[in-house]
Amino acid sequence: MTPQADFVQPPRLAVWLVKLFTPADAAESILGDLLEEFSRLASKSGVAVARSWYWRQTVKTIPQVAGAGFRAAPWSTTAAVIGGFLLLRFVPHLLETAIFAVLHRYRVFEHHFNAYVFFATDGIAIGHVIASLFVGCIVALAAKGREMVATIALGLILCLMAGVGYLAWVARHWPMDDAMAWMLWNCTDLFAIVVGGAIVRMRGSAATPRPSDA
Amino acid sequence: MPARDYLGEFEHIIVLALLRLEDRAYGVTVRQEIEFRTNREVSIGAVYATLDRLETKGYVKSHRGDPTPERGGRSKRFFRVTAKGEAAVNRTQRALQSMTEGLDLGLIRSYS
Repeated sequence: MTPQADFVQPPRLAVWLVKLFTPADAAESILGDLLEEFSRLASKSGVAVARSWYWRQTVKTIPQVAGAGFRAAPWSTTAAVIGGFLLLRFVPHLLETAIFAVLHRYRVFEHHFNAYVFFATDGIAIGHVIASLFVGCIVALAAKGREMVATIALGLILCLMAGVGYLAWVARHWPMDDAMAWMLWNCTDLFAIVVGGAIVRMRGSAATPRPSDA
Repeated sequence: MPARDYLGEFEHIIVLALLRLEDRAYGVTVRQEIEFRTNREVSIGAVYATLDRLETKGYVKSHRGDPTPERGGRSKRFFRVTAKGEAAVNRTQRALQSMTEGLDLGLIRSYS
């Protein structure tokens, strides 16, 4: 092995993605195998070829391990997704009610009109993002070991619903100014669900000892 | 006869690779063996997804080796075929042989 190859590391983002989507017990073998082959390839064919190989393997490996994770526990993963879907019908609505209760209790409308407008519009939208992040975390905790599969599945279902809703809304209210803003906030909510899953996954993998340490 | 008695195409290839590699069978060697013999690029994820499925069916067993520095201190997961797995591969081989018996495969190749 050349001295250069000794210090070469695989692409960090690719390693992080594999860690994110692979259950902790399987991640040790998969990441070890990928690193072993990457180092060999880097010393034989060069770093660029090895990095390209690593990325190809990452892109092909993620759907495989995610699919295998789902097939290993389809019912509990589906239950987590359905639970998350139902929570999303309930939590943001609760938050909205709470925000308006506070605004009316302190008569913000009369004393601080600009603050009222902010909380009644962007404040609620930000609240929805926080609620989505919270629901993403709950779904990930419920789908233990399949955090990303469950949160991405929930995100995709909601994305499909938001897309259909968007088209229907635009068709009824055209021309409209805030359609793009509505869609952007919706996308942010969906992204927040997946981020919630990633946070739980990364915290979980940091706390789980490697199988080889046992 | 139970419905899932035969191995799928990739399962069959993986079990044959394990039988060839004997006690050297882990992710890297299995992947390389398949690439070398079938001339098709295989992802490590596909190998592990199939090995996990075969382990669930009781056709293979796995154990962890010692962590090594060239793997960033990570251990290897070695696999071996169980008696049930050997029976399944034999059954699949026999079924394939029976299905190809009497066929002129050279003739089929010339049409494809």
